[in-house]
Amino acid sequence: MAGFKLEAWTALAPSLEHKDDWLVWLKENRQIDDQNLNVNLKHVPMMLRRRFNTLGKCAMGAIKQLSIDNANLPCIFASQHGDTQLTLSLLENIGKHEDMSPTGFSLAVHNAVSGLYSIVNKNTCEVTAIAAMEGLIASALFESIGQLQKSEKVLCVVYDVPLPSIYQAYSETVDFPYAIAMVLSRDKGDEMSFTYQGNVPEHVKEQTNINTEIRNFVGYLSGQLSDYSCNVNGSIWKLEKKLNNVS
Amino acid sequence: MTALQNELKEMIIECLDLEDVESEEIDNEEPLFVEGLGLDSIDALEIGLALQKRYGIKLDSNSEETRAHFANVNALADLVKNHRTQ
Repeated sequence: MAGFKLEAWTALAPSLEHKDDWLVWLKENRQIDDQNLNVNLKHVPMMLRRRFNTLGKCAMGAIKQLSIDNANLPCIFASQHGDTQLTLSLLENIGKHEDMSPTGFSLAVHNAVSGLYSIVNKNTCEVTAIAAMEGLIASALFESIGQLQKSEKVLCVVYDVPLPSIYQAYSETVDFPYAIAMVLSRDKGDEMSFTYQGNVPEHVKEQTNINTEIRNFVGYLSGQLSDYSCNVNGSIWKLEKKLNNVS
Repeated sequence: MTALQNELKEMIIECLDLEDVESEEIDNEEPLFVEGLGLDSIDALEIGLALQKRYGIKLDSNSEETRAHFANVNALADLVKNHRTQ
């Protein structure tokens, strides 16, 4: 079993800017229009702000709502694909025998957003960038719990944007851009347990879709679901609030 | 010269995504990097690429001379005037 305390969480997506918006969406399950992303990054100096595109704006918007302003926390950023649209545009330039944009190249790496975040906040702690397909959220939690062994608190961000359409036949992707930001703590917040529940039965072939994962995880965080279960490498893990020990 | 300087300012704004900056706000004599406009090393590479694409100027990214050419808009204009191949 692995345990931690959840001090705070926020989630952000186009038209889903506050927890109330997510609660309504969880009930209605309406389509999200990518164009409705409304993130105010006025707190970021202009010269840095220009380097954030949709993926980075989601992360920065979600983190901003945590109100941890200048907290110097170790950070874990987890994303399935990162900014694949940017990588694709660089590849298209190579295909046209054009020179590659140095800015584009520097921002196409998987730790670009976390790096920019650390510059904006003058954060000098460890920054970890995770890429995972199956069990993205669980992987981010495992890493965060690991880092809580030597830090009081960590910032954990799970975020993605949809893959460009030419890649969508080859890999699952999110329906809309989103970011979930959390502060995991040793001492403060709701006590959580993350427990191994056995192996995924062999007849179960299908992986959980990332969109279902996000829905279930936000559903759990917002109190609509009593727990969050997920599959990682053939194992089932369950996140739930820890019950107080009576003895 | 003023036309070339304005052209360079527009180029800088466009290639560096300086959405909130007007070309009139960039002073010809003020430093482009760190102080003044506050550009960084990645911006320098991006401007180098733009100079190559637009004016056919190839620069050595490590030389002191290049550093001097990038000091401000007037220095860039001198560089373009004297070394452009297109």
